[in-house]
Amino acid sequence: MDRMLAKKEFTVWITLTVVVSSVIAFTGGYMVGATTSGEDEGILLVDDYGRTIKLDKIPERIVSTAPTPTEILFAVGAGDLVVGVDEYSDYPAEVLNITKVGSYTLSTEVIISLQPDLIVSSDLVPIAQLELLEDNGIPFVVLATRSLDDVTKDIRLVGILTGHVEEANALADSLEARIEAVTEKTQAEGVVKPRVYLEYYPYWTYGPGSFGNDLIALAGGINIAENTTSEYPMVSSELVIAQDPEIIIYTIGYMTTTTAEEISLRPGWGEITAVAEGNILSMDDNLISRYGPRIVDGLEELAALLHPDLFS
Amino acid sequence: MSGIGKVAANSRIRRSPVRFLCLLAVLLLATFFLAIFIGAKGPIGSDDIDEMRYSELFDAILDKDSERLSYSTTAIVWAFRIPRVLLAGLVGASLACAGTAMQAVFRNPMADPFIIGVSSGAAIGASSAGLIGLTVVVGSFTKPMLAFACAIVTVFFVYRMGTIRGKVQVETLLLSGVAVAAFLGAIVSFLMYSAGQQFHELLLWLLGSFAEPRWSYVWMMLFPALAGVIIIFLYGRELNALLLGEETAHNLGANPETLKKLMLAVAAFVTAGAVAFTGIIGFVGLIVPHMMRILVGADHRVLVPAATLFGASFLIWADSIARTILPGEELPVGVITAMCGGPFFLYLLRRSRTGSVIS
Repeated sequence: MDRMLAKKEFTVWITLTVVVSSVIAFTGGYMVGATTSGEDEGILLVDDYGRTIKLDKIPERIVSTAPTPTEILFAVGAGDLVVGVDEYSDYPAEVLNITKVGSYTLSTEVIISLQPDLIVSSDLVPIAQLELLEDNGIPFVVLATRSLDDVTKDIRLVGILTGHVEEANALADSLEARIEAVTEKTQAEGVVKPRVYLEYYPYWTYGPGSFGNDLIALAGGINIAENTTSEYPMVSSELVIAQDPEIIIYTIGYMTTTTAEEISLRPGWGEITAVAEGNILSMDDNLISRYGPRIVDGLEELAALLHPDLFS
Repeated sequence: MSGIGKVAANSRIRRSPVRFLCLLAVLLLATFFLAIFIGAKGPIGSDDIDEMRYSELFDAILDKDSERLSYSTTAIVWAFRIPRVLLAGLVGASLACAGTAMQAVFRNPMADPFIIGVSSGAAIGASSAGLIGLTVVVGSFTKPMLAFACAIVTVFFVYRMGTIRGKVQVETLLLSGVAVAAFLGAIVSFLMYSAGQQFHELLLWLLGSFAEPRWSYVWMMLFPALAGVIIIFLYGRELNALLLGEETAHNLGANPETLKKLMLAVAAFVTAGAVAFTGIIGFVGLIVPHMMRILVGADHRVLVPAATLFGASFLIWADSIARTILPGEELPVGVITAMCGGPFFLYLLRRSRTGSVIS
């Protein structure tokens, strides 16, 4: 029995040695393989993740993997290049007839068979899936839109990417002018800023660092959740009651489960100023949660809801 | 508790275990080739009009650089389907084999490969990699590396908690594992709550998915997984002795302490390697050993290879369903393993004459 055990131990050590050396070898190979790059003329740009992307020529077949890039692509006039979109893209209406390529989990097979020469993605899609497609010859650009400035920056970037520089710049300029027109009024001296509770799902709201938080500030309001700790926090009734919002806005989208009546009937909410004065309003969720050109529509609508007197 | 040692196996299989193992091997081979034909672009499992044809796929499998085929066909077969099926098979084999060893070491039918904290440790690693943005800065390779490292550290901690004066106390180890898993699970929940944009990436990892098949993953998993399975298989006799109780094992010439430590280390290593690349795929490591135990009995010289082979087939099938059941979308494979495996296991459990797998 002892000799048998010794023999087994020997086998164990041999296998372990083989394993360790093979893993080291393959890891090394991977690291080296990942750093090679070619040198060609064409489009050279840096995306929102700070990655440098080099394209030989202007792409002719583009797959978009999130609603924001889809809406930007169409807005700059590059919609005819889009051959595949994610499940959630539904604007503009032409998108509905385009091949679907999955959502958070991409259908890599469908994407490969579409033979795109570029993927435009957002920071919602796990990057490893995109890298795998990149390894198979399909480059990708990530738009990680985190503020209104990013929106116009990304629109210009998509313009360069698709050869629609003029349309993109014109669009970005007009959006910037519209944003300016809104903030000029809302940030003017003497404007009283109402306390706002903006709800995208019962008790879930926008915290610091989120787009919704920025929009409320630019529209001339004070977000009652601006001091919470997470980007998309769930708030307690106590917080809302203590902060006593003057305006409550709930968004209407595919997640909507609530109504103004339901909000006013929540236990203890009757005393909140917004409820008592009947200031429970609603907005189209897509105007707040999609960071393409429509976000400026959202800003204008939000500003008009907060300051009806300024935007009549 | 030691009911997993006395299961009445199917007598016909028990008389000729080698033939049954050959059958499982053939099943695995057939599963492997069939699964290459399943996918969103067909030929099996697609309602797409311009799906790939059987003949094209055969050509692509036989000749990687075939010039008659479109680039996308060979890319789908060689860059996505084959590594994916291999990865699913490797992970299934690793989890089922490690699960068998853990159930023997703990002499507890509820034991699975995650029982000493591998999954919760790996989850901490994977979620922090995503959250502090390392995946973006250093590359997606950071996530499996960090998950693996955290899993091993966690297991070592649980092991130290469960070891008293150099002896592994199985009950203490089990409870430490449960407590550490609960503690780390709470941290993961908190990380997910504050994950913002990365929420879905984390959720997908926690549910387990083969959506990122890479050849480098396959190669890096292959040798550790094979080695782990071989080591556990080599100690089949000793595992049998251990099931009879540590006293008996000692009298039969096996050193229970060394054996337990070796088995824990190998199982933890193999499991950590599996979850690091694909996320936490539940159920396989718990149920596949039981399924095989009902069929072949509790002799680990047969049970270990049977569970390993069947675990591989089982997970390949589960993944094939996961990537085709919704057109154009993928389900996390963990959803499928539990949904298909649960009822099947209950059926086996009721049909086995004694119904006493967990007696």
